[in-house]
Order: sequence, then structure tokens, then C-alpha cells
Amino acid sequence: MRALRLLLGAAGVAATAYGALLLWRLDLADLLDALLWLAAGVLVHDALVAPLTVLGVLALRRVVPVTWWTAVTVGTVVLLTVTVTAAPVLGRFGARPDNPTLLDRDYLGGWLLLAALVLAGVLVGVVVGRRRRRVARHPDQRVRLRR
Amino acid sequence: MIPREGSFTSPLRHERLTARVGSWLGVCFTICFATGLVSHWYYLDLPVVPPTRPVQGYRVTQGLHVLTGIAAIPLLLVKLWSVYPRLFAAVPWRDARALVGHGLERLSVLVLVAASIFQLVVGLANAAQWYPWAFGFRAAHYAGAWVAIGALLVHVAVKLPVIRRAYAAPLDDERSDAPDRDGPRRRTVLRAALLASAVAVVANAGQTVPWLRRVSVLAVRTGEGPQGIPINRSALAAGVTDTATDAGWRLTLVGPDGEESLTREDLLGLEQHTHELPIACVEGWSASGEWSGVRLADLLDRVGLPADADVLLTSLQTRGAFGSSRLPASFARDDLTLLALRLGGEDLDLDHGYPCRLIAPNRPGVMQTKWLTRVEPAEDVAT
Repeated sequence: MRALRLLLGAAGVAATAYGALLLWRLDLADLLDALLWLAAGVLVHDALVAPLTVLGVLALRRVVPVTWWTAVTVGTVVLLTVTVTAAPVLGRFGARPDNPTLLDRDYLGGWLLLAALVLAGVLVGVVVGRRRRRVARHPDQRVRLRR
Repeated sequence: MIPREGSFTSPLRHERLTARVGSWLGVCFTICFATGLVSHWYYLDLPVVPPTRPVQGYRVTQGLHVLTGIAAIPLLLVKLWSVYPRLFAAVPWRDARALVGHGLERLSVLVLVAASIFQLVVGLANAAQWYPWAFGFRAAHYAGAWVAIGALLVHVAVKLPVIRRAYAAPLDDERSDAPDRDGPRRRTVLRAALLASAVAVVANAGQTVPWLRRVSVLAVRTGEGPQGIPINRSALAAGVTDTATDAGWRLTLVGPDGEESLTREDLLGLEQHTHELPIACVEGWSASGEWSGVRLADLLDRVGLPADADVLLTSLQTRGAFGSSRLPASFARDDLTLLALRLGGEDLDLDHGYPCRLIAPNRPGVMQTKWLTRVEPAEDVAT
């Protein structure tokens, strides 16, 4: 394992160094702009996205009943992260008047549809979870509950 | 006010979850990096050029590139969530040796996180043709790819013992796995991350997988456009609306046997071929079309171009990049490579490159030069 780790580490350092060299070869203005974007990504995540997630989870746990937590967790993870991937199309930032084939969907409508599906999934998850828990707690009553 | 590592108490955040989400993320990054290299290959002037087959090759690799990048976004967010407390880990200020190790590990993670977020954000925006930055996309994205994959390898090397330990144990330990325990388990979070990843892929894949068009509600394109194919750069954006429709347009062929100027009627009078070929763009969308026109090899023979000569194709376009492209001899002589005059049984739409465009198998869309005006041996041009 030690040899494998050394090999991986050495290959990793070499690849990173090559990438850094490629960055270094950019024009100074491009390099500074790229470094700005590299730093901004970490900052936005660590100082904004992550703390807000922590606070959001704390708030949700106060509002949402315990039996809903599992379903709400899945729904929130799916909806929020997929929404992040959709940010450029939802904002239509790249739209161009001369090219109607680009960004040619109703993205808000599509997102609302997705959100509705996730919500429906959460509700189904709550019902299924509640039933499963009841069965798990009272296995002898399984037959009666099924009916 | 600043929390400590121990301030975060959720049992869900655990190396067993982190290792498993990280593995999936590693798979996505590896495919994304490999397919990205394939794409970059087309831009390099290497002695070994990409193959002309499979015809759909670039469509598949670039589709995978963009979709694995999109799939990585939910996984990366969940993974970063799972290790967020580590950001607040105590620094061993008093032990110099430990401090150096601690610092190096933090530096490697910083580089990995910065490069990962950068690559995904920049790639995602580029796929939607959104350029809120000043740097050139391709050079920065390529450099960032090497930084990210290298930092990933270093990270795996550093964490290998932890990864092995994490996989040796079940994801949820027995106490938290008890059936009557309320709330999500680690397994729930892992499955949620994978589900989110799958949903993101399906919501976008329709831009390159035709039967998913209806369900891909977040795809950058529906796949519709003039003559059934979307466009990337319009005739207006390229500044060719006048020159491309001018009755005086000629295609100039240059070769050892001299120069020849052909009108569109001349080209239509030559032997016509029809092939089903894809337009596959770097942004990850693709669409298949039925192109008709003259085989490029036939035209090259008319001016005596040797079979091993690379070809330079020049567009009328006055604005934007890719105003010309260098076509390796293997592509230029391929039976499927056409100078297309018609698409789907109609005269080529102006936005698709009227009067005449290049269409070759297994080649990025930006290099399928539109609004051609000149075809000549590439060696004649100083590079």
C-alpha cells in the first residue's frame, strides 16, 4: 500500500504541477482572472453555501416533524443540488437574440415540474416511511395493519 | 463565533459516507477528464490525429464529458457537506512536524476543492454559452483539469488508509441502523446524492440523446432548429449574411495543379453523396442530419492535391473564432467527408453554412467550418 500511495502521490503532484504550468503560461490578465474565479468558488462555498446549509438544516429540524426528516432530506438534496446545475439555464444568461435554438425551453416551467415531482416523492416517502416504521415496531400486528 | 470541528454533531457526517460519495465523484472526474483529453486532442497539432471512426465517437465522448460533469455537481456538494467540519479542525501549532503535515494536507485539499468547483462552474456555464469571466475558456479549463485530476490523485494517496477503513465497515453502524431510529441514515444521504446526480443527468441528457428530449427539462437545447438541427453561431453573429448570399460567391480550390473557382451550381453539378452524420458540439449537445453534397476528396483530386496533404478550409466569417480549420489528410480523404450543399433534402439553411460547409465524421462541431470560401493545402499557410 505504501508503494501505491507513493505512486499515486507522485503522479498527482506531477499532474498538478503541469496544470499550474499551463495556468502560468496564460496571459497575465487571464491568469489573474482565473485565480480570482478559483478562489471565489472556495470562498462562496465555505463562507456562504455551507454555513447556510447548516443553518437551513437546523431550521428545518425545528419545523419539520421527526417522521418526515428522511423524506425531506432526500427531497431537499435532490431539488437543491439539481437546481444548482440548472442555474445557467434558469437565468438564461447566455441567450442571444440571433440564435433561437439556444436555451429554447421553458426552464422555469420545467423546474416547477421537477419541484412538483420531488414534492410528490417526499409525500410518498413520508407515507411509506410511517407505515414501515409502524410495522417494524409492532411486527405481530403486521397482518392487521396490512388490512 | 467560529465553530470547532466538534461543534458539528450529526452522525451522518462520517468518513464511511465521505469515502463512498467520494468514490462516485472520482468515477465522474475520471471519465470527465479522459473525455476532455479526447476533445482537447482535436485542437492540438500532433503527428497522431484523432481517428475518423466511429462516426459518432465525438458525440459520445463529449456527451459523456458534459454529463459526467453535471453528475459530479450534486456529488461534490454532498461530499463537501460531509467534510465541512474538517475546515475547523484544530491546527497543531506546537508540534512543528505535525504542523507541516497538517499544512500540506490542507493545501492539497484547498487546491482540490478550488480546482473542482472551478472546473464544474466554468464548464457548466460554458455549456449554456454564458461567459461571465474574461479568461479564454479552453486554455483555463484545460489547465484546471490537470490541476484538479492531480490534486485528486494526491488526495486519494493521502486518504487511502481512511478509504480502506471506511469501506471495511458498514455505512451505518448498528445503533444508527436500528429500524425504529427516526430520521435519515447515512445510506439515505448516499442514495439521495446518487439520485440527485441521476436526476441532473436525465434532466440534461436530451441535448444529446434524442429519445430523452421530452423529459430533459433543463437541457440547454431542445435539439430543434432550422432543418432539424440547432445552431451554435448564426450567420448574423458571424457577419456573413451578405457575403454568403452574394451571387458572386465562389468556392476557391487551390492545389499543385492550380486554382479553380466553382459556383454553387458547379458544385451541385458534380457527383452528389448523401450521408447521415452528427453535429456534435463541445458544449455537449448533438444532433444527426442527412447531409448531401460533394465528396471533399473528389474536389481535392481536381486540383491535384496529394492524398497525404492536410487541408485548410476557410470561412467567409469575419467575426468570432474558428474562421478556418485544419483538416488532417485522413479526414479530408474519408469517404464520408462532404462539402455539404443540402441538409434534409433542402438547400442548406444560411445558419447552417449556406452556400457550402464542411461535414466530417467524428469531429467537433466548431471544426465543421461553415460558409466556406477557400480550400487549400494546409502546408501553404504559415503557422
